[in-house]
Amino acid sequence: MEAIRHIRSLLASRLSALNQEKLKGKKIIGYIPGGYFPEELVLAAGAVPVCMIRGGDHSAVETAIAYVDRWLDTFYRAQIGYGVSGVDPYYKVLDALFVPITDANNRALSDVLAYHTPLDVFPFGIPHTKSEDGYGYYLHGLTKVKAKLEQITGNDITDERLAKAIEQCNRERELLKEISLMRKSDNPPIASKDFVMINHASMIVEKTTMIENLDSLVRELRNAKPGVHDRPRLMLTGSTLAMGDHKIVELIESAGGNVVVEDFAEGIKPYWNTVPENDAPLNALAKTYFMDRVAPAWFRPGSERLDYLIRLARDYSVNGVVWYHLMYRESYKMQSYYFPEMLRKETGLTMLTLESDYDPAETGQMSTRIETYIESIRRQP
Amino acid sequence: MKSQALIVAGIDIGAATAKAVLLNGNTMLSSCVIPTGESVALAAESVMRSTLDRTDLSLSEIDYIVATGYGRRAVTFAHEAITEISCHAKGANLLYPLAHTVVDIGGQDSKVIEIDEKGNIVNFAMNDKCAAGTGRFLEVMARVLNAEIEEIGSLSLKGDDPCQISNTCTVFAESEMISLRAEGKSRENILAGIHSAMAHRIAIMGNPIGFKSQIIFTGGVARNIGMKKALQDRIGEEITVADNPQIIGALGAAIIAAKKQGHSI
Repeated sequence: MEAIRHIRSLLASRLSALNQEKLKGKKIIGYIPGGYFPEELVLAAGAVPVCMIRGGDHSAVETAIAYVDRWLDTFYRAQIGYGVSGVDPYYKVLDALFVPITDANNRALSDVLAYHTPLDVFPFGIPHTKSEDGYGYYLHGLTKVKAKLEQITGNDITDERLAKAIEQCNRERELLKEISLMRKSDNPPIASKDFVMINHASMIVEKTTMIENLDSLVRELRNAKPGVHDRPRLMLTGSTLAMGDHKIVELIESAGGNVVVEDFAEGIKPYWNTVPENDAPLNALAKTYFMDRVAPAWFRPGSERLDYLIRLARDYSVNGVVWYHLMYRESYKMQSYYFPEMLRKETGLTMLTLESDYDPAETGQMSTRIETYIESIRRQP
Repeated sequence: MKSQALIVAGIDIGAATAKAVLLNGNTMLSSCVIPTGESVALAAESVMRSTLDRTDLSLSEIDYIVATGYGRRAVTFAHEAITEISCHAKGANLLYPLAHTVVDIGGQDSKVIEIDEKGNIVNFAMNDKCAAGTGRFLEVMARVLNAEIEEIGSLSLKGDDPCQISNTCTVFAESEMISLRAEGKSRENILAGIHSAMAHRIAIMGNPIGFKSQIIFTGGVARNIGMKKALQDRIGEEITVADNPQIIGALGAAIIAAKKQGHSI
């Protein structure tokens, strides 16, 4: 598909584009994924947002061993590895890094990079309950992020500019949602690896260009005539699906499975809701980015996400669920023990749980697990 | 002379041994087990040849071949690759129609598989990438204790005061063995402790799956009588060691091959 090829090439050339923007005097603002950092604030400040969503790289994980203990989430150890190396081009191009603190893992990342590197690291806390207090605390965090961005760029983030950025990002979310919904059909016109790629790209590629390409992609997909197949439909869910961590989706596809919907704390930007365009912009951002989104596994209570997964499994008519968390992400791992029983009671579906430390040695056993799971779904009467 | 009924083969390339089974309808024509050795591809060819040598058939007379085991992708002459978990399930189901749980302990992997009355998988658990709780673990421990792998099971049954073994990590357990020997513990009691510790690990792994009767024990380690006893003691249920337990995966692969050709077994 033309638009997919184009987005992939934009992604590949993004680093040199960022360096050129920097030479022109633009500020490059990095942020840690998870859906709690509104790109709108960066765009309204006239700076360039870029999400630190790369992963899957065992050597980066190994580098981190000299800086943090082993018992931190693999993705965050990888970010520490990239960040402290001093040679990673994506970290080198940043003027600042914003870290929404959701648990001990990104807290460690924030502390280590602030201490060991010259990077301007700005952490801000994310509460774990959707309450009036929680909302107020998150809104307060956004106010501080706004002030920090104004200080870095020297530009005022006016309500008018923020409203414009919200409108732009809403358009992107609507397009992602429309593409995702097309996968409810019997023959999804887009493969998961491509959907994940465009979702990653939406956090990295220049916004206007990205929206133009998503627009063309929607048109292409509407006219696409995907071939008929009988591959089992799967939901892929878990803690982090990083750019470069393609092993899982590739193994599933080569074993004959078809991922039709994904849900991840980091790696799948929430696209179900748009930000209200007529409210006070900062409050509207806080409402959508904190209150309206599906809460991740570490929230109290933790049931919102699990109920959502059951709805998603029904909506997308899946035949099975693959749960993929990274090592030492305890909030996700804990849910993986009891969710299969909930899922079975509500839908009759089984679940396969996989855990990774980005270690290439895992591949053989992981592929046996995935193949067996798909064989077991296929053979069910 | 080519036989009239369908001839199919299952070939199971494990980490330690390569197995093959030839079926003609419901009759097993021959089977063979050889060490896998260094080359998975050579082991596949060699075990197939040895199995055929016991009949008057040639490779070209086999209608369908299914490969399984960790080396399943390297069997170039197979028509299809199916995981060993599905194959052990099918193989155990054919021989034991009332089986609901299959415990398969092989050279490098161990699995607890829940199956339905058709031999389809309901749920399964598999050890992680380390060798704890596998045949490899027992091999290393046998070497440290200067015992033959074939005799450690029966030796373990002679233990009257099993040692407490805290580690099933192969590396740590090895040094634990050495210090127990230095303390003057008998080989029988150390082995009884090893079998009990490994059974404990398999029981923990299979707990979320459950051990529903009838429980069938397959894989090379099922030949170890001490492990059967240790597992029964841990789980508190009767365990049936499959007849010729090493070839159950290859048998299951052959059954799947026959079904692919429309033959019902």
